[in-house]
Amino acid sequence: MSADPLILQFVDETVDRLGTSKDAVIPILQALQERYRYLPEPALRRVCERSQITPSQIWGIATFYDQFRHKPVGKHIVHVCHGTACHVTGADRVEESLRRHLGIKPGEDTDAEGRFTIEPVACLGCCTLAPVVKLDQVTKGMVETEHVPTVIQEFLEAHAEGMAEGTGTEHPAGESSEILGPEIRVGLGSCCMAKGSDRLFEELNQAARLVGVAVNVKRVGCVGMCHRTPMVEIVQPGRASRFYAAVKPNEARQLVLENFRPPSLWRRVARSAARAVDRILLEQDDSPTTRCAVDMKAGPAQAFLGRQVHIASEHFGNLDPLDLEEYLRHDGFAGLRRCLVELTPDQVIEQITKSGLRGRGGAGFPTGPKWKVVRGAPGETKYVICNGDEGDPGAFMDRMLLESFPFRIIEGLAISALATGATEGIFYVRREYPLAVKRIQAAIDLLVKRGWLGDRLLGTPHPFRVQIKEGAGAFVCGEETALIASIEGRRGMPRLRPPFPAESGLWGRPTLINNVETLACVPWILRKGGEAFAAIGTKLSKGTKVFALAGKVVRGGLIEVPMGTTIREIVDEIGGGVPAGRRFKAVQIGGPSGGCVPARLADTPVDYESLREVGAIMGSGGLVVLDDTDCMVDIARYFLRFTQDQSCGKCTFCRVGTRRMLDVLEMICAGKGRPEHLGELERLAQSVGQGSLCGLGKTAPNPIVTTLRYFRDEYEAHLQGRCPSGRCAALVRYHINERCTGCTLCSQQCPVDAIPYQAYQRHEIRQELCTKCDTCRRVCPYGAVEVR
Amino acid sequence: MIPITIDGREVELEDGKTILDGARQLGIDIPTLCYLERCGPMTSCLVCVVKLRLNGRTSVVPSCGMKVVPGMVVESETAEVHELRRSALELLLSDHVGDCLSPCARICPLGLNIPQMLRQVQLGRPEEAAATVRSALALPAVLGRMCHRPCENGCRRSACDSAAAIRDVERFVADTNQGRPQPFLPPRKKETGRRVAVVGAGPTGLAAAYELARNGHACVVWDRAGVPGGSLRREVEAGRLEAAVLEAEIRDLKRMGIEFRSGVTVGKDHPIAQLVTEFDAVFLAVGEVAEADREGLGVAMTAAGVKIVRADAFMTSVERVFSAGSAVRPIKQLVKAMAEGQMAAEAIGEFLAGHDPRKTPKPFSSVMGRLEKTELQLFHLGANPAPRVVARCGVGVGYDPSEAAHESARCLHCDCRAAGDCRLQHYSQVYGAEFGRFPRQRRPFEQQQHPGRVLFEPGKCILCGICVKIASDAAEPLGLTFVGRGFEVRVAAPLDEAFERGLQKVALECAEACPTGAIEVASPTDAHWSHGKLSV
Repeated sequence: MSADPLILQFVDETVDRLGTSKDAVIPILQALQERYRYLPEPALRRVCERSQITPSQIWGIATFYDQFRHKPVGKHIVHVCHGTACHVTGADRVEESLRRHLGIKPGEDTDAEGRFTIEPVACLGCCTLAPVVKLDQVTKGMVETEHVPTVIQEFLEAHAEGMAEGTGTEHPAGESSEILGPEIRVGLGSCCMAKGSDRLFEELNQAARLVGVAVNVKRVGCVGMCHRTPMVEIVQPGRASRFYAAVKPNEARQLVLENFRPPSLWRRVARSAARAVDRILLEQDDSPTTRCAVDMKAGPAQAFLGRQVHIASEHFGNLDPLDLEEYLRHDGFAGLRRCLVELTPDQVIEQITKSGLRGRGGAGFPTGPKWKVVRGAPGETKYVICNGDEGDPGAFMDRMLLESFPFRIIEGLAISALATGATEGIFYVRREYPLAVKRIQAAIDLLVKRGWLGDRLLGTPHPFRVQIKEGAGAFVCGEETALIASIEGRRGMPRLRPPFPAESGLWGRPTLINNVETLACVPWILRKGGEAFAAIGTKLSKGTKVFALAGKVVRGGLIEVPMGTTIREIVDEIGGGVPAGRRFKAVQIGGPSGGCVPARLADTPVDYESLREVGAIMGSGGLVVLDDTDCMVDIARYFLRFTQDQSCGKCTFCRVGTRRMLDVLEMICAGKGRPEHLGELERLAQSVGQGSLCGLGKTAPNPIVTTLRYFRDEYEAHLQGRCPSGRCAALVRYHINERCTGCTLCSQQCPVDAIPYQAYQRHEIRQELCTKCDTCRRVCPYGAVEVR
Repeated sequence: MIPITIDGREVELEDGKTILDGARQLGIDIPTLCYLERCGPMTSCLVCVVKLRLNGRTSVVPSCGMKVVPGMVVESETAEVHELRRSALELLLSDHVGDCLSPCARICPLGLNIPQMLRQVQLGRPEEAAATVRSALALPAVLGRMCHRPCENGCRRSACDSAAAIRDVERFVADTNQGRPQPFLPPRKKETGRRVAVVGAGPTGLAAAYELARNGHACVVWDRAGVPGGSLRREVEAGRLEAAVLEAEIRDLKRMGIEFRSGVTVGKDHPIAQLVTEFDAVFLAVGEVAEADREGLGVAMTAAGVKIVRADAFMTSVERVFSAGSAVRPIKQLVKAMAEGQMAAEAIGEFLAGHDPRKTPKPFSSVMGRLEKTELQLFHLGANPAPRVVARCGVGVGYDPSEAAHESARCLHCDCRAAGDCRLQHYSQVYGAEFGRFPRQRRPFEQQQHPGRVLFEPGKCILCGICVKIASDAAEPLGLTFVGRGFEVRVAAPLDEAFERGLQKVALECAEACPTGAIEVASPTDAHWSHGKLSV
């Protein structure tokens, strides 16, 4: 291949900008990927010529991480989320439908004209809006198979109008207003934006200007009530706040008009006129103030919020993520300041130890003792790393915390640095979380500008430098030693511990790695004292835990509850239970490393020990509710598909063992299972769990172990050729029963024309054509489509 | 020095040493595949796992990478640890694409290394071929004429035209050897001082006597007939076997030190009970037992023949008396009758050495099964494309050296270059790994042959990482790397370059260090490497 001089020039510029050392390899590849949307081979060769990066290194890296592509892509990329919540709500069918609609052949990822490239992603972290697809930069939630044509059409139209690029809500707050005047607060987390909150934000701004009221339209972080987004809160001095849920962008003006009195008579007249016109045009008197109003003190909102205690997500929904002044007004950096002026490092560690805080990333290792080891490790240079590589499908707590509270996480990291004697801090954040990366970077920039980061932490003589390293898409990089390998510019392959990173971590130096949520709790603890934190929770699990509540639940969202809250309280009270007509079957806790806890054990308190006892783990906090339409064998298979793909491929037990377990599950789901397979699964699960080198492999069998333990009857049913939940395509058939009125809706929607068009007659499904995409069952208004 | 305990035994090690070092110091053979001292621990194959108790916590760890600290309590040779190691081996085998042994050799009841014999004939080295043949066959010239050649049924070549003429080449090797003034005989092991009476000079008895004699046991063959040969005499009488061929074979056996007492009917002329007192072991290979002779044998009988009380050890009801072959139940095929004698001799050898007599397990082999057409084509590369060679001088005379070489060049060399020198094969044998434990979709067999001298078979790679490390340490300009992730990880040269380009300096070192047969470097005279790339 002859090299395009433009490519070579771009490579040279990139290498000059990002450096020639070996650890620059991932940033360089990311820059190339961003520019060309794939990695042209001549570019890779050029990188090797111009830097210390070797061909074997660059190739090993470029083929390890999901982000990197080796073939040119179509004009648009359609990411299909395959997170747990999306999986149980039909991500496979959505992908199939997209492929069919876009004309992408099996085994290929781009259509013949090169318009669309389809790319499955492990999790976009918008689990409450499942199933989710992302078209270029635009995330769309609740995309069912039958919506696919509309979604694509709308996207193309918006693209033609130049609106599909995402809107500019990401400027840091300027000098924020000291006056506490009226505010309109709009949640602008990634999931809110997927439901159109960024458009709403713009519209509200414009409406406020047009109407001429003096009100601050303010971006705030995640509100938590993802099931009701976009959320708007209207705050007026001397009045109780008013909340509105599920507000549409075109309702912005009305919302402003009804809440604020325009200052002049003329405008008031105009307002009445506008309302009259709206009434005529909309032919209804269903204004957003009545339709969307939410009473936070009663009903569902109260149930959702009542049990919650906000520590990591303190002031949720009130703070502009990038308004430093506001953060300071809300006790921001008070904890850090206390560490700088009042406490010795040992006293800081003592407070953390007293608090009983344990790592929120999964294993639950006590945080205080971990800090102590790093503090005690000899060495001039030490590192503290914030692990934001939240890769579990079905979890998005860390993303929300990074997006909503960047200053708080930086503060937590700075405290950990002070306590351990580190001067360098690194944020390792998934690249799938662009908004989190942007906001953390903006927050760092603001602090550097103020002189609070760099050589003088908060203006004191303590140096603390912070930088961001973006992950490139590899679940295993959440493992400490793999994360370090990734930062050092190597394949994210874990190594045997000891030595632990606390003794020999990044570049061989003592390194402390804490999860985002762990760090988010730290400022609170330092402000209020270790005892206050320890007063919350259970005997061994202190404080609160943030969960991403998703799946088959009425009120999904981000919640923070005291440790020890039971699963039932979370699912039934906070989440409002499973949708009407369905039966609560299990919760999947902890993602691929976790397990399924059956409904009969729903009174299990959520704490490290209790969860481990029932076979699950806390994990990072994904909590996916499953109902009677979910097949537990399919769930186990889903996670094994994930782990065998995400295994770094180093050790035998994980690389081959997870695949062999998956093979058996595939056979069982396809109705080809044999009785001895269950014993083989158990035997293999035991070996893989014991023998694997790192946590990924050691915990990979958990989804199998727990489903076999609690739902063995379902496995046995599959061995007899039945899928009790009607989920496993090979074992079910779709039928139309006598309730059919012949309305033809199913026939019209069937993507493969398997239902002949016969008006006013009972429809029939031609089994030889049926792909079991479930569209007919979902569109039928009479419940006439049965799965057997 | 740091003290640790392995399997209840204390050992002291220097700081920085590993559990594996400790085990080796104690003479415990912990299996390793990915560990090579100069590369340091790779901790990838995980067959070296041990169970570790330290500070009240129990875990399973790879012994090669775990540095010793005081107080470590290690379990290595326990059923639980062995099960884990076996599982690791079985998992590696489940993704291993290649045959250790060729189908023909696996089928051969006597375990003759057929492809090796054919390579030696092809290269014009009949003495070496004779040694190969002699390591498995007691009566090569007889088998070269009379064997029902099950090996040729397994020959992959038959999918294309016809199987390699294995039996004819073997006859050529045997006859050529016999034609030399001093035919080659395998060296005998040091004398053990043990004496074995073999009763019956038929195929089973002769095969056993040969095997026993090779292993240094003194061996006396008793036979009621005047001349040795047993049922083979009938073949001579029927004109299906030249008398001279059988006589030459017997002559060779005598040269091996085997003593013959012909014309003595054991049981009548010489009671079994007496034999048992005169010899350390007695092997009954009397062929089908006539009704009248049943009582004279002095051992328990079944309707079919001698009663065997422990099948895996060929034991009869009388201590130190063993039996096999048609004496136990009628056996039709010559080669099977001889295989029984060979296996019984191995069991007797174990018994004489004071061990529990057991059949030696068959050599371990990974098995690819049926090949796709495209895969088979790879095996055909370089093989002689001509149809089966017909001996010019007629079937009665057999091949001349050039005909034998041409015919041998038709072999596809289905066996692995590393067979017998492969740690995966070795430990799979030792640990009794079950090759087919996991149902699987086999990856296609792949072979990357390069114009230079490096041959890479990715399906045999266990991703240990040794070659990647050696190449990197040697600062190879391209080197090797792991490509991909998860189950799909492969070792390759970067940037889609040929594998060989990754190893411009250290190919030979990598081939030697490879724990399996994934990487090989050719020597110009090695027919095995080049798949018959020699001009034919």
